[in-house]
Amino acid sequence: MTHTDSHTDVTAPLLQVSGLKVHFPLRPGLFGKPAAMVKAVDGVDFTVHRGETLGLVGESGCGKSTTGLAVLRMTPLTEGRIVFDGEDISHPDAATTKRLRRKMQMVYQDPFGALNPRMRVLDIIGEPLRVHRLTRTRAEYRERVMDLLDRVGLKAEMADRYPHEFSGGQRQRIGIARALAADPSLIICDEPVSALDVSIQAQVINLLEDLQRDLGLTYLFVAHDLAVVRHLCHRIVVMYLGRVVEVADRERLYQAPRHPYTRALLGAIPIADPDPVVQARFNPSVDGEVPSPIDPPPGCPFHPRCPHATDLCRREAPRPIDVEDGHSVACHLHDPSRVAEMNHSEPSYQEQARNIA
Amino acid sequence: MSTETSTATATATATPRTEPAATLLRVENLHTVFEKDDSVVHAVNDVSFDVRRGEVLAIVGESGSGKSITAMSLLRLIPSPPGQIIGGRVLFDGQDLLDLPDDAIRQLRGRDISMIFQEPMTSLNPSLRIGRQLAEPLRVHGSVPKDKVRERCIELLRQVRIGDPEKRLDAYPHELSGGMRQRVMIAMGLACLPRLIIADEPTTALDVTVQAQILELLRDITRASQSSMMLITHDLGVVARYADRINVMYAGRIVERGTAHDIFHRPRHPYTVGLMESMPRLDDAIGNRLTPIPGSPPDLSDPPSGCPFHPRCRFAQPRCKQERPPLERLDQEHWKACWVNLDDTH
Repeated sequence: MTHTDSHTDVTAPLLQVSGLKVHFPLRPGLFGKPAAMVKAVDGVDFTVHRGETLGLVGESGCGKSTTGLAVLRMTPLTEGRIVFDGEDISHPDAATTKRLRRKMQMVYQDPFGALNPRMRVLDIIGEPLRVHRLTRTRAEYRERVMDLLDRVGLKAEMADRYPHEFSGGQRQRIGIARALAADPSLIICDEPVSALDVSIQAQVINLLEDLQRDLGLTYLFVAHDLAVVRHLCHRIVVMYLGRVVEVADRERLYQAPRHPYTRALLGAIPIADPDPVVQARFNPSVDGEVPSPIDPPPGCPFHPRCPHATDLCRREAPRPIDVEDGHSVACHLHDPSRVAEMNHSEPSYQEQARNIA
Repeated sequence: MSTETSTATATATATPRTEPAATLLRVENLHTVFEKDDSVVHAVNDVSFDVRRGEVLAIVGESGSGKSITAMSLLRLIPSPPGQIIGGRVLFDGQDLLDLPDDAIRQLRGRDISMIFQEPMTSLNPSLRIGRQLAEPLRVHGSVPKDKVRERCIELLRQVRIGDPEKRLDAYPHELSGGMRQRVMIAMGLACLPRLIIADEPTTALDVTVQAQILELLRDITRASQSSMMLITHDLGVVARYADRINVMYAGRIVERGTAHDIFHRPRHPYTVGLMESMPRLDDAIGNRLTPIPGSPPDLSDPPSGCPFHPRCRFAQPRCKQERPPLERLDQEHWKACWVNLDDTH
C-alpha cells in the first residue's frame, strides 16, 4: 500500500484518461468473414480531480458505461492510457490489479441484481474487508461493518438479514456500504439511482453527497438523467457514439451549452412545470435516433442528426476546442480555424455559430 | 413572445377549460386484489375517476402505487389467478366493462379502447413481420376491407413517421430500433381509431431525445383524432407537459386529483408535495439539497392503519393513524384525500 501512498501528489488529478478506445469484436461471420467491431469507446479524454464528482452522460450506446468499466480495468483497452493516482494502469499486472480493486469501487444500477441473495448483509458489506484482509479479528470485522451500516443510514440489527428482506433504496445503501468498506479513493457510480423511485432516489442522492463531504470521496458518475447529473456533478462530460462532444462545469453546461447535441439533449427533457412560459423552453431539436456503433457515420458522429451539419462535418471529425477555460467542444462550428470551410448556402456560418453560442 | 405562442398551443386542446367535456369513461370504486402466498394485496383500492372526451388524463405514482394495475383492470387484462377485480364499475358508453361477456370485451379492446405498453421489445411478436402484426387488429375488427389492409398499414406507419413504410412492413421487430418499435406499437394502438388510448409508460425504455419525439407524436395524433388518452407514468416532467388533469396514486389509492396547474403549483396532499420536493429539477439553484420522503412505500398485503401515507408524512396527526381520509373536493377540479389542511406555505 505504501507503494501508492509514496507518489501521491494531492494537487495532481486522481484520474487521467487519454485517447481511450475500447472496441469489441462481434461474433465472426460464417466462412471466416472478419468480425465487425463495435467501437464502444472511440477516442475519449477526460480528467477527474480529487474530491470532485465528474459526470459521464449520454444516451444508450454512447460508451459511458464501457468507459467506467475500462477505468476499473474490467475491460481491456484497445488503445489509450489511464493514469490513476500517478500510476499508469493501462496494462496492470496481477498485483496492481488487486491494489486497484481496493482503491476503486463500483456502485451498480440494479440494487436487486448486484447483491448475492444467499449472503447476509454482514458478509456482503464485509467482503472487501475479507478479500483485502483489512481486519484481523472477527470482532473487528463486525465492528467495521456496523460502522459502515451506520454511515449509510441502516440499522445495526440489519447486518444478519438477507438482501430480499430490503427495499430497493435500502439495497442501494447496502451496495454503497460495500463500496466504502475498503476505503477507496474513487467510486464509479453506474446509474446508481435510475432504478429507484423518485422519493427514494432523493434519499440516495443526499447520502452520496454526505459521504463525499465527510470522507472526501471522488466520484465518476455515469448517468443518463440530466437533472440528477446537474444536482450531483461538478463537471460533466457529454458523450455521443463513443466520443466526447462537450466538457464543462455544470453552471456553464446547463446555462450555455455549445454543442448541438448537448443543446438537443437538454431541450428534450420534459420540465416538471405546466406553466406555458416554462414549457416554451422545451425544444427537442433533433430527429432520428443514435446510429449503431458498429457502423458509425464518417466525420462527426452527430452529423446525421445535426441541424447545422455541412460537408465538412460529413467528411471530418471535429477536434475538441477550448471555447473557455475548462469548457471544450468538439464541433467545427466552434473551431475558428475550420468554421470558414463550412460552406453554408443558407444563413451564414457566423450567424449559425452565434445562434449556437 | 414565446409566452404567446405557447399559450396558443395550450389552448389548442380539444376542449376549452370553461365547460368540462362529456365523460367518455367512468371508473367507480374499482378494487383489484392479488393473492400472494397466504395474504391478499389490495393493489387498487376504491379508485374512482372519469376520463373526458378529448383530454389527456394522467395517472402518476411510483412503483407499486397501482397505476398500471388500474389501467389493466379497465380492459380486464389482469391475470387471474392470482389477480381478481373484486368490486367497482367501469362505465364506457353506458355499459359496465366488468360485466361484459368475454367475446364482447375482446371486440372492444383495440377497437374502442387500445393500450400501448411500456416494453416494445416484449409486446411485439419477434417471429412475425411488422405488417402482419399491424394488420391483426384491422382483421380482427374488420374495420377495413381485406384488399385495403396493406394500404391502411402503410398509412399508419406514415402517420407515426416511419420512413420507407412499404419496406418496413416486411421487417421483423429485431430489425428496428427501440424508437421505431415503439412507433409501431403506437400505430397498432391507433389502427382502429379508438376513442380511448391507454398509454402505460410509453417511453420509459427510450432515450430522452427519442422520448420527446414519441410523446409529441402521440399527443398530436390523439388531438387530431379527438380521442382521449390515459397516460400512466412515474415521470413528473412528462405529466407536466402532456396532461390536462392528473390523478396521483399512492398505495393503491388516489390521494390527489386536479388540473396540471393544481398539482404542480398548488399541491395539497403531503405525498404530492413530497414528490415535488424530492425531484432534482433543471431550474433549481445549484447546491440546493433535496428533501426526500423518508421511509419506503408500505407493504400492501399489510397496509398501515388510517391514511396509508401517515408513516412517512411529516404533517401526520393522531387522527391520520386511525381514520382513512376520503377523497374530497377542494374546488371545481381539485380533490385530495388528507385530514391536514396544507396551504401554499407548507
